[in-house]
Amino acid sequence: MKGGEVMQGVEQMQYVQFGVGEESYGIRIAEVHEIIRMQEITEIPNCQFYVMGVINLRGKIIPVISLRALFSLDEDVYSKATRIVVVHHQEESIGIIVDRVYKVTTFHDIQPPPERVGGINGAYFTGIGLTESELVGILKIDEVLLRD
Amino acid sequence: MFDNSEFRQVFLEELEEQIMTMEEEILSLEKQGSHSEGIQRLFRAAHTIKGSSAAMGYMELKQLTHEWEHLLDMLRNEELEMTRELTNLFFQCLDFIKDLQNSIIHEELLPDPSAVIKELGRFSIANTESVAAAKESAGEALPEEAEQLLREYIHSGQTVYTITVKLTEDCMMKLARISIIDISLRAFGEVLWNEPNMKLVQDDQDIHAIRWLIATQEVEPDALEQAVAGLMDVQSVRVEAAMPSQPEAETAAVLELEQENVYMLPGFAGSVAQEEADKTQQSKASVKQQTIRVNVERLENVLDLLGELVIDQTRLKQAIQTLYQAYGYSETMDDLGEISDHLSRLIGSLQENVLKVRMLPIEQLFSRFPRMVRDLAQTLNKSVDLQMVGGDTELDRTLIEEVGDPLIHLIRNAVDHGIEMPKERVRCGKPEQGTVRISAAHEDNQVVVVVEDDGGGIDTNKLRKSAVAKGVITAEEAALLDEHKALRLIFHPGFSTASQLSDVSGRGVGMDIVRTDIERLGGIIDIDTTVGVGTKFTIRLPLTLAITTGLLVKASDQTFILPMSAVVEIIRVDTSTLKMIKGSPVIKIRNQIVPFVWLHEMFGYSRTEGSSDKIPVVMIGRAEQRLAIAVDQLLGNQEVVIKTLGSYVGKVDGISGATILGNGRIALILEIGGIMKKASGIS
Repeated sequence: MKGGEVMQGVEQMQYVQFGVGEESYGIRIAEVHEIIRMQEITEIPNCQFYVMGVINLRGKIIPVISLRALFSLDEDVYSKATRIVVVHHQEESIGIIVDRVYKVTTFHDIQPPPERVGGINGAYFTGIGLTESELVGILKIDEVLLRD
Repeated sequence: MFDNSEFRQVFLEELEEQIMTMEEEILSLEKQGSHSEGIQRLFRAAHTIKGSSAAMGYMELKQLTHEWEHLLDMLRNEELEMTRELTNLFFQCLDFIKDLQNSIIHEELLPDPSAVIKELGRFSIANTESVAAAKESAGEALPEEAEQLLREYIHSGQTVYTITVKLTEDCMMKLARISIIDISLRAFGEVLWNEPNMKLVQDDQDIHAIRWLIATQEVEPDALEQAVAGLMDVQSVRVEAAMPSQPEAETAAVLELEQENVYMLPGFAGSVAQEEADKTQQSKASVKQQTIRVNVERLENVLDLLGELVIDQTRLKQAIQTLYQAYGYSETMDDLGEISDHLSRLIGSLQENVLKVRMLPIEQLFSRFPRMVRDLAQTLNKSVDLQMVGGDTELDRTLIEEVGDPLIHLIRNAVDHGIEMPKERVRCGKPEQGTVRISAAHEDNQVVVVVEDDGGGIDTNKLRKSAVAKGVITAEEAALLDEHKALRLIFHPGFSTASQLSDVSGRGVGMDIVRTDIERLGGIIDIDTTVGVGTKFTIRLPLTLAITTGLLVKASDQTFILPMSAVVEIIRVDTSTLKMIKGSPVIKIRNQIVPFVWLHEMFGYSRTEGSSDKIPVVMIGRAEQRLAIAVDQLLGNQEVVIKTLGSYVGKVDGISGATILGNGRIALILEIGGIMKKASGIS
């Protein structure tokens, strides 16, 4: 995605804001398919460390990944607030486990991402969104999901 | 911007179809020599693409097909002759069209076709004059007496063909040859007229082209063509449906008036014939097309929904059981049970039908091979005849997609390593041309695909030596292997028999990849060879990848499914009877030593159930290989809908997919080949 596009749509573009660990992150609402409560996860042996397994989403089997694992945070602790954000990625649905989902929000300004964002590779982000009170790392879904 | 995505899809589908037709036609032109129907079909395909690409605004494609069409038109009018050089140019054109197709699919900038167009143009100019000069009397209008006969016979409902035969320059006994052709033609129908008249021909007379007018009933032009083309000294045959150049119904006055004009318009008779041919083609097509195109995605959706239905039905059954236990017999309960049973049957037949819809003839895949074999043989300077049998054998569309790569690999191997060089073949007393044969057939509940060649075969002793040299096995082990086991060494990872890696198949992808691919599909591959005679690979595949019967087992609190087709037997084993050989556990069953693994250990899970003395063990088998897998609990067998883990998760060792159980939980389906590999890695 070009930076210009982000800037242009600042006023109207909406983001789902959620938390992982201490930090706050956002995903463009257009990329989010749905948000569901934590489900029973069936583990898949011998696959990438951040793929927690698969879930049954109304008869569809979809993989779920852990942002905590990807961001090298402590192991997941699932609580009542834990949610799975289901996104579309290359014609597949993929679930992203997050600690909590806050709200749908807009940013009055979006800054280009620095090289590292709180110890995490800056390439994962399209920018840093600014609200009145906080900084939100806007995730570049393609980059987050495309690992090899 | 104008959104043409919907049209684009239709356009691309049509383009794909036309490309397939073109490839087929060029190959057949190369194989059987020039024949008018082939060129006509090629022309029509180029014309169709030209039209649709112009409509879609793909000017590059339009220009290229326009130029090609021009060349084909010249061929059609015999202003140009089919040569090997021209065939290669045609393939070059086709490849460029494929490049264009790719760019269109990926919405990239279209490559510039001017180089190919120039080449086409060069051809049409350079060849026109020479060939035009040599052009025979073919295609000229018929004399009035022949016209008359033609009208009469067509009126009586017969089909009349004009057959133009050219003899080779150096033909010695022309009259005799012509008589033989005449006799073989008379077998098909009545010869109305021929030119020159045979009674008047002198043996030493210089004639190259002879024309017949033959009236037949229900004879395909191809049959006529083949009958003549096979005769000695025949250079080319052209069979065309003959039509009177003047419609019969016209009045004599008009006839007189226009006669001159008509005769002066060469190609008029041809164009009527062509229209007629188009019509027959169309009527044939309308008979064939009792079909509709369906987007694959929609089909997949139907199957997905059906899968959910199957799951819900299982749940319903369980719920009824629970209800029955809780409340006992009642009339309503009985009704409910009956409805549920009926529903099961309906779902069963629905499932069967949906799976049938997903079946495609393997022809789809086969059509890719002739071109590949041709190109490959040409690169290697070999002569190879590709025979394909059983193209109408149907199997699941996903299987067709998946089995393509391994098959291509086998065929390339057969051409590259199997078939010897022509000289070598002659030296061995074999025909110079090698044969690669691919066949497909249904056998029981499986599809059997065989790839065989009449090449040099595989020397098992060389395999043994090579395996020892590569450290795959020790010399002692090699000596102990029987012929068949030694042969199976080529499926071993990192094994290649070609002494030198060639550009063709030595690309680091060995037979082990082929085997792994086939096994991942739940299939089996076997090999049979005789030195000096040939090699035969037999692949057995399940009919469908969508549904299978599985054995549900529990290990480490997770449910796993073993494909029932691989389960040899289920036993209970006393852990104290386990023996150790070279540090890995084995069990002895009826004097057979079988390697033993715990399912949970294989995936690095911990065991959850308390150990009892007798543990359930599932023995799985593939070819002669056996493996005993210990599980925590057996849960029974049932039909399961196989779902992939998706491309995001990708291929996982030992797992072929997953299914959703009656309780909504997910169970992983184990892949036997991978499990066996893993087990040998553990022990």
